[in-house]
Amino acid sequence: MKKILLSIIMILASVSVHAAATATELEGSFKVGPAIILILILASFILVGLLFRAKDTTDYYAAGRGISRIGSGMAIASNWMSAASVLGMAALMFGMGYHGLAYVVGWTGGYVLLLILMAGQIRKYGKYTAPDFIGDRYYSQGLRVFAAIIAIFISISYCVGQFGGIGLMFKWILGIDYMLAVFIGAGVILFYTLISGMLGVTKNMQVQYVIIATSFLIPLFVLLFKYDYFWLIPPIGYGSVVSDIVTGVPLNDAKELFNIYGHSFSIVASPEFAMPWAESSGGTFFQWMVIVFSLMIGTAGLPHVLQRFYVVPNPRDARWSVVWGLFFICIIYWTAPVYAAFGKMLAAHPEVGTLAVDAIVVYTAQLGNVNPLIVGLLAAGGVSAAFSTTSGLLVAGASAFSHDLYVKVINPEATAKKQLLIARLGTILMTVIVALIALLELALIAELVALAFSLAGCTIFPLFLLGIWWSGSNKQGAIAGLIAGSFITLISLTYFITGKLGVVLPYHDFINYWLGAWYFAWVGAPLAIITNIIVSKLTKPTPYEVRKFLVENVHL
Amino acid sequence: MENNQIDYHVSFFKPKTRRTLKNRNMVLWLVIVWATAVFGFQILLRVIEKPVPEPAYNTFVSVWDNVKADNASVEELKDFANSLSFVIGKVYIKEEYKPALSNAFSWSVFEVADDEKDELYNVLKDFKKAQAETDDILNPNYIKSKKTLEDYIAQLLDIPDNDARKPILPFSMSLQKKDSYSAENMELTEEVMSMYLIHNRSVLTDTIFLGFPFHYFFTAVFLLVLFIGLCLTYCIITDRREAKEQLL
Repeated sequence: MKKILLSIIMILASVSVHAAATATELEGSFKVGPAIILILILASFILVGLLFRAKDTTDYYAAGRGISRIGSGMAIASNWMSAASVLGMAALMFGMGYHGLAYVVGWTGGYVLLLILMAGQIRKYGKYTAPDFIGDRYYSQGLRVFAAIIAIFISISYCVGQFGGIGLMFKWILGIDYMLAVFIGAGVILFYTLISGMLGVTKNMQVQYVIIATSFLIPLFVLLFKYDYFWLIPPIGYGSVVSDIVTGVPLNDAKELFNIYGHSFSIVASPEFAMPWAESSGGTFFQWMVIVFSLMIGTAGLPHVLQRFYVVPNPRDARWSVVWGLFFICIIYWTAPVYAAFGKMLAAHPEVGTLAVDAIVVYTAQLGNVNPLIVGLLAAGGVSAAFSTTSGLLVAGASAFSHDLYVKVINPEATAKKQLLIARLGTILMTVIVALIALLELALIAELVALAFSLAGCTIFPLFLLGIWWSGSNKQGAIAGLIAGSFITLISLTYFITGKLGVVLPYHDFINYWLGAWYFAWVGAPLAIITNIIVSKLTKPTPYEVRKFLVENVHL
Repeated sequence: MENNQIDYHVSFFKPKTRRTLKNRNMVLWLVIVWATAVFGFQILLRVIEKPVPEPAYNTFVSVWDNVKADNASVEELKDFANSLSFVIGKVYIKEEYKPALSNAFSWSVFEVADDEKDELYNVLKDFKKAQAETDDILNPNYIKSKKTLEDYIAQLLDIPDNDARKPILPFSMSLQKKDSYSAENMELTEEVMSMYLIHNRSVLTDTIFLGFPFHYFFTAVFLLVLFIGLCLTYCIITDRREAKEQLL
């Protein structure tokens, strides 16, 4: 036993020495300590996935409906906290200041809507997937297929941002090319999602939450303590950092404090970091408001989020799992701006150079001369966040592919074994598509993810909202609403993609501003809802059985 | 077959039972609090804010006409360069604006140097050479040339030793002793200066609460607490209601 312990200590000591040697290199080198931490964490994911692997389709889709409230809350938080939360949010605030807070508010406030309007009711309805609910509530195979395709699109769009984050972190840790990093990350996540399914994924998500939260918080305590701020409660302690950025910190006041390069902890007054809608941030008041709105309704329309409510034993647990989930999410969201603020201070000297904004969380810890192993843990936490979300998304996408398209439409006689096979094939296909799109590096991680929210807000959210709360919403109304929402989506995405390809379509600036790819749901969702209501009023009423089910099973 | 005795209908706005009525009212209250806190506060912020320039912007405006007309005095050029350095020193400047700012700053510093232009040029050249020769920022030759240039420019512009702009000065200069300040860059400079030195401020942004500007605290910290509070309220009330109705 002693020999084993001694060996472990020797290995850790050796890792620390190597890690320290590479600590001052922000990019381009293989970082031994972080790499070992990453490998250990990935191995633990696979081990947990294997231990709790899916045995049948109920396990695969809904984790046997045996997850506790707190466990489900942790899984919701882990599933939710993607690379966009852990890496992307700080990046947005680093680059856009107060404008970036729109994402913090949008991505948390949506849970209030989700809880009071949907969570319990979705669980009471008792379906496995979002397309399942839509197909059943609107008694339409066509809508089920359409919803399944949209769910797959949402999962792909969301996953692209995650793969980008995984690529960046693998690149940073392994010192390899971004393209190779994306493929390695894709391979690992595919492997463990395939062998585990949602039961393994749900257990993994709980482990992942602990890793994400621990790795994210430790460097903040260190940074606040080291730079002489109130460190006991980081979400409060960094207030003075924000105020220091606004007023500036002269050299004398900071002479004992340095970044890793020995630059003084000083900064020229930069009020644009905290002042609302600074012109230099590139964001306006209008954009701030519509981003918040779109992200909020998108939250209540994301298939992989809605799917989490199917895995709890009853509606009461579904409600409480949202509260726990939001609490766990907020622990990270309260602290993400701290990285942006310290990043501003520590990267103030031109010698630091231009940093990859999406990796600012890791660079900030590194510039603050935090122990390389802790920085490595932070990077591994970033990967873990991307992994947890991606696995949930892949399961949601594969569910839409196998359960909603294959079993419900193409081959209703399919055996359980066949269903599982199709789900796994769907997962492989999605992974390949996502990895290829991620290589294009279309936008910042958080922006790519915000696109998925708008898509969900325009399509899935109106169908759930009206489907639960108004029995008058019928098949025809749902189809019309979905077409309206999809039309707005199509316009926005066409302008976004052509813009990226360098093609300027008529009214380019107008559409890009008013129907931006990150927030087009502010038009699409209300339009889809209004269209749904008008068409439903003008057409044949919802069948008696559907209304009866809604009253007796969902609202009683 | 439809049973005409029971009208099965669900409408959020037209609840049919006491229970659904109570639920609707609770949801509406929560949504009102939620929307007021999220959107109402930002609207208030927008309504009461005023564009407030940093002192450097006022300095810039006071000398800008003479700089543009190319008849600024040495003191005015010094003020101009100083105001520019407040923008150059900010951490996140868009790449597209950097050349114009560098052109403006370098030109004005060389103009301030007047008879010492050649000397400044040589100091700057030494620094650029040392910078090109090494990637190691701890290289003694690089550090020495950087310090010499830093002190030289700081002295020219009367920038005190403890000023946070001082370490940034050597990196703000380009080798352009004889170049002019282009009309295109002049136009861009004016735009960039107002963009980075005028901020929307109000009593909500200038009040400090727990170390934060108040509006920042409200948005980044308080709103999240509120969201959890709203969710908790909903769950507790719904649980109590269901327990009362023996649904649990």
